[in-house]
Amino acid sequence: MTVHNGHGGSGGHGGARAAGFPEGQVRARARHGTREVFPPADAYGREMFGAAAVVDDLDQARLVPPVFMPQRLEKLIDLGREPGHDDVDLATVIGGFASPVPVFLSAFGSTRLGSTELGVAASVQAGRLGIPMVIGENVVPVHGYRAAGSPVLTRIDAYLSTVADGVGGVVVQQSIEDADSEVWNLVYSSPASAPLLESGRLAFELKIGQGAKPGLGGMTVLDPAESTRLAGRFAIHDVFGDDHTLRCATPGTFTEEIVRQQVRFMRNNFPRARIWVKLHPGRDVAEAAVTAWQAGADAVTVDGAEGGTGWAPLALLDHVGLPLAECLRRIGRPEGCLLVTGRMWEGGRVVRGLALGATAAGLGRAALLAVSEDPESGLERLVDSLALETRLLISALGKYRPDTLTADDLWWPGAAHGAVGERVGSVL
Amino acid sequence: MSQIQTVLAQTQEWRPAPLAEHLCAPTTRAAMAVQQEALQGARDYLRGQGCAELLSPLIGPVTDPGGRGAKALDVDFYGHRYRMMTSAILYKQASLRGFERLFYIAPNVRVEPVETAGTGRHLVEFHQIDVELAGATRENAMEVAQGLLKHVVAHVWETVPDVLTGLGRDRMVFADLLDGPFDQLSHGDVVGSLIDLGHPQSPDAEIDWEGEELLSHKAHRPFFVTGYPKGSRGFYDREDRDDPGTLCNFDLIAHGGFGELVSGSERESDYATIVTRMRESGENPAKYRWYLDTARDGIPASAGFGMGVERLVRFLTGLDALWQVSAYPKLPGVATP
Repeated sequence: MTVHNGHGGSGGHGGARAAGFPEGQVRARARHGTREVFPPADAYGREMFGAAAVVDDLDQARLVPPVFMPQRLEKLIDLGREPGHDDVDLATVIGGFASPVPVFLSAFGSTRLGSTELGVAASVQAGRLGIPMVIGENVVPVHGYRAAGSPVLTRIDAYLSTVADGVGGVVVQQSIEDADSEVWNLVYSSPASAPLLESGRLAFELKIGQGAKPGLGGMTVLDPAESTRLAGRFAIHDVFGDDHTLRCATPGTFTEEIVRQQVRFMRNNFPRARIWVKLHPGRDVAEAAVTAWQAGADAVTVDGAEGGTGWAPLALLDHVGLPLAECLRRIGRPEGCLLVTGRMWEGGRVVRGLALGATAAGLGRAALLAVSEDPESGLERLVDSLALETRLLISALGKYRPDTLTADDLWWPGAAHGAVGERVGSVL
Repeated sequence: MSQIQTVLAQTQEWRPAPLAEHLCAPTTRAAMAVQQEALQGARDYLRGQGCAELLSPLIGPVTDPGGRGAKALDVDFYGHRYRMMTSAILYKQASLRGFERLFYIAPNVRVEPVETAGTGRHLVEFHQIDVELAGATRENAMEVAQGLLKHVVAHVWETVPDVLTGLGRDRMVFADLLDGPFDQLSHGDVVGSLIDLGHPQSPDAEIDWEGEELLSHKAHRPFFVTGYPKGSRGFYDREDRDDPGTLCNFDLIAHGGFGELVSGSERESDYATIVTRMRESGENPAKYRWYLDTARDGIPASAGFGMGVERLVRFLTGLDALWQVSAYPKLPGVATP
């Protein structure tokens, strides 16, 4: 859904031509200036973003069932009959939470799409599915906490209204600006989240970065009224040349010691909550993940450069960050619970991610699309389809639990066997 | 019944009577008699140590970020979001520019987690004898804390012995306290002892309340615990440069199950280190602008501590719960006047 060409109209061409050069984009910038750095402002709130142009070699890998299947024999002995795909047990512990499938609902952030009705519809269905749900950053400073219709409380209520005992959990992110609003403190002491805390189903996620714009904070487009309201809390930039403005949250400063200590600080201050950490696809993603696990994080989520629902500059969407497969290659065998997000929607990509060490995959854009297709049951049907596909694929590999998948289950075209393929590279 | 409701139900019998009744209860009157002598003794001792008494601020744009889930209360200050002081540590450090040795008897407000209502050791409104000493080391601050506690104990037994014995307190409970120096254990020692006692305790975290109480019951006089791990305390406690990851701080734990009376530390005064430490504790440095501007301009190196007044009086009187030694107690989660 990324727009690659200038979107502001061409205007007069003045006679000059530059064949083979992105003439249209140059002319659009010459005419409209900085607004051309971004997707169209009027698409904000209606469209989801995230890289379309990155060809992730994770999707290039083929799942390769063996002929000899000792684990199928084990299952045969266990069952006393030939096993089928229904015998694949997808139940997974995701960052401390029991889930019937190795899938969770990713954060949608504070963008209009994810914070309103669709976010609530997704929460209700995630609860019914019993999968963990992440509530994104910047929701409280943008939308408020105690206000009627506060997205955090509304989504927690919606989730709790449908989730069964003993499964699922809610994960609340906190960004730099959220820290000013003390989101975790508010949630930790709120009667609304008490049922989660008491059943060990509340987690806090330290958001270090995101796939759609690694190294940058969250961005949204504001109308004039929103600009005035949020001016004290966020940097507001005039980049569109009209009365809309760009709200930029800060990404935060992290070093190895800052990550280690923040995780410890969270464990110390919120001893009854699980601690999750979300990383952007940085080149040192392996070191960052190990730092978080060793400091006591219950889960580390890696958001590949393909990920994200939020607003991002085109250059970030198209050119920045490692694809998920490369992140997984760098991490190798994970020391702790590793979660993956970015372009996840069907069983094939999820199973490939699991084979490369992930415990579960997060649905972001796919979940929003599914609930927009059918707010009643769209996400449930999507996850049911994904679960069936995952069972089929795992049983085809002669395995019956997600955690038995390994890199041997994948083959990479054009690469030395057994290794993750070389990066295909982004294609514009 | 939710866990919070269960906690509140369990604390029902531990709650104060309605305020009008609580104010004229004999235990309240006795506790106040001990409290005023404790404060008199503290003031005498600290003035004798060359400390100036200042009155602490009640609200500010930021306050001590605290820990263990305690929250600050918001105040609308002419359209600005101000906070009630959870502690005046930032102001104590800034004040060293004009007052080299100072103390407050400071009122603080911390919205503690509801589950602390039943500990007998938490009140939302409480006071601290808050001391800060320019140029001091941790050892200097511990010496003053020990001297202060010994002086206060001696003073109350001298001035209101009948009140203490009337509450069932035995002078002999304090004999070891008055008799010798307090023991000193490292955080690592305490973690080891607790694990040996079968109590799970993370080496990276604050000593939990149950663990602290366990050790407090086994002791015969107060003891110091030093060197808490970074991540368990605020950004203003200085990290030990010779032992990275460990803070130059201390707690003073009372014997007899009364637990922590004092928290103190050498303070970080280096601007760049303070900013970095703020990030390590998940804080946004931008909101601490006045404090950071002051630090950039120069804050003297120091050490200091806060001694909880109500915890001190509970220890002196031997009463069961902290609310019994407050004239106007506010328990976590319980809406009272």
